[in-house]
Amino acid sequence: MFNILTGLNQKVGNFPGVTVDKKTGSLSIDNNTLNVIDLPGTYSLNPNSEDEKITNEYLKHTTDSDVTIVVMDATNLRRNLLLCTQIIDEGKQVIIALNMMDLLQANKQEINIEELSNKLNCSVVPINARLNKGIQELKEAIASYQLVQTSFSKTNTSNNIDDTLIRYKQIDSLLTTVFSADGENITDLKTKKIDNILTHKIYGYLIFLSLLLVIFQAVFSWASYPMDLIEGGFVWLSEFVANTLPKGVLNDLLVNGIIAGLGGVVIFIPQIAILFTFMAILEETGYMARVSFLMDRILRIFGLNGKSIIPLLSSTACAVPAIMSARTIGNPKERLITIMVAPLMSCSARIPVYTILIALIIPAERSIGFFNVQGLLVLGLYLLGFVAALFSAWVMKLIIKAKQENAFMLEMPIYRAPRWKNVALEVLSKVKVFLVDAGKIIIAISILLWVLSSYGPGDRFEQIENKYSETTIKLSPKEIQTRIASEKLEASYAGVIGKFIEPAIEPLGYDWKIGISLVTSFAAREVFVGTMATLYSVGDEDNTKSIREKMMAATNPKTGAKLYTTATTLSLLIFYVFAMQCMATLAVVYRETNSIKWPIIQLIYMGALAYIGSFIVYTIFS
Amino acid sequence: MTLDLLKENETGIIHSIEDEALALQLLSMGFLIGEQLKVERIAPFNDPMIIKSKNNCISIRKKDAKKIKLQTN
Repeated sequence: MFNILTGLNQKVGNFPGVTVDKKTGSLSIDNNTLNVIDLPGTYSLNPNSEDEKITNEYLKHTTDSDVTIVVMDATNLRRNLLLCTQIIDEGKQVIIALNMMDLLQANKQEINIEELSNKLNCSVVPINARLNKGIQELKEAIASYQLVQTSFSKTNTSNNIDDTLIRYKQIDSLLTTVFSADGENITDLKTKKIDNILTHKIYGYLIFLSLLLVIFQAVFSWASYPMDLIEGGFVWLSEFVANTLPKGVLNDLLVNGIIAGLGGVVIFIPQIAILFTFMAILEETGYMARVSFLMDRILRIFGLNGKSIIPLLSSTACAVPAIMSARTIGNPKERLITIMVAPLMSCSARIPVYTILIALIIPAERSIGFFNVQGLLVLGLYLLGFVAALFSAWVMKLIIKAKQENAFMLEMPIYRAPRWKNVALEVLSKVKVFLVDAGKIIIAISILLWVLSSYGPGDRFEQIENKYSETTIKLSPKEIQTRIASEKLEASYAGVIGKFIEPAIEPLGYDWKIGISLVTSFAAREVFVGTMATLYSVGDEDNTKSIREKMMAATNPKTGAKLYTTATTLSLLIFYVFAMQCMATLAVVYRETNSIKWPIIQLIYMGALAYIGSFIVYTIFS
Repeated sequence: MTLDLLKENETGIIHSIEDEALALQLLSMGFLIGEQLKVERIAPFNDPMIIKSKNNCISIRKKDAKKIKLQTN
């Protein structure tokens, strides 16, 4: 509805929980510009979850709106009128948009629109959001609305249950004159037939699993093309800026701080967009409600909820929009646990780290039977993250006390073909959340990291410059440059931090260079790769070797032994599976839980998992 | 008799709901006292269940269904 009216980004949900936040847009009718606010869907003004509370608060406590458009499902008039009459009795000026009229006709049902309008004393406009029908009429109704004082239910009971019961009685008597049905509900029959397969005790799970496989296959294979393009684009851009602008601090900040940070954000858009496209299609069709139904009993063992499946799956793209989508979980304890464990699912930013580290210890061509060993290891890391999420959830279930017990109730919408426009808009809005919420933090930290690695305490930087300007060793200018860059990084604040934490990470098999990378990973995990590239650029005169080759050749200066042994590399992989190295996620957890306590606990428990896990793996393999 | 004891495809009429918040939530989703409901499906592992009344169809946990008393004939 909102989409069509404003041409903006909102989707019409056939069940509540699709919109989790209020959104604002504008609409112009006859040269007048109106502000339109879209509220999350709800069943009544007695809210049961965070998203429903937003709507409730807005409708009860704000007075700055002129007219409230209530979009009702024409096939379920009775229940929809409950909310509608509650809104009327809040003193709002209501215009009713009757949606899904097409289904009504298919089921041989009829609504007397004029009668409904007279009885409720407000305009009723039949629309079809799917086909854009009735939108012009709705706009006209909005433009020509007149202030009328009206109320529906005259009861003044303070008991919400009594109030609701009386409302239903009045609605039922209203419906006898407004609504007529003839024959069987065919859409219900179709849905039932599909449900026989999709929620089947065995096929139900098999279908869900195969769908997951297809989705992940698609995310990996399709996303690589646009990602390569984006990467190439940013390489070109940073070279262009580096060569065009005069050399100096500004140039360096732009290239290594801002452009690098921006590139690190944009590169993930293809994967995120593809995953959320699938999720949006599954939600639009009504399938996600069935998955929640199938998974609820299993997830409950771990203190989660059937609805947790959506945030958990979304987390494999990016935890930031995923954590926001946990708002639809009504039970506060189950919602909190979902938020706390979602970042353990391996997100897009971990993939580059996994890829480069795995390549260090396993040759690309090695395979067991059909399966490529590198691929199997990646799969194993994903599973490890998932198992850790379930395990942590189970532990938290035992520790966290439930403040209130909300019932798990989920509407099973009828199956419908997805509305592609809505899918597109939903994906756009998720990508926007990622770009705005995660992006700004990633870029801010990239700049901070640039400062940390470009400046050092005292006059160490000058000393390095001087040392090489006086040097008599025969070296090419390029080699001198890379040596300076590397030594500067060692002397910088980032290097100081890396050396400072070295004793703490030595038991895991890491040196201070890896220490720096762990610190810089706080912007986003994939920064690891870039940091490694800088740190190991020494001695590579023509810059012909790949980062992988450089890391392979790296040795421990104390012992002269190879640094990236199987033990160290595996230990590092485990660290990246578990550790909470993402400021953007911590920020969104803070916002969603409205408490500093939970992000801190999350940072500590995931850090502990990472440290202990890596230590065990390093000890076993070394 | 409570709702959680019904088997697939069995029907019952809601007599009362113990928990006030649950009652309100059910009411707003279209499940009324005195009206017939039907168990459409029970999930694998025997929980939750999908119940239907008129054209309202929801999934509910057994734990909550236990709080819904049905009329005895």
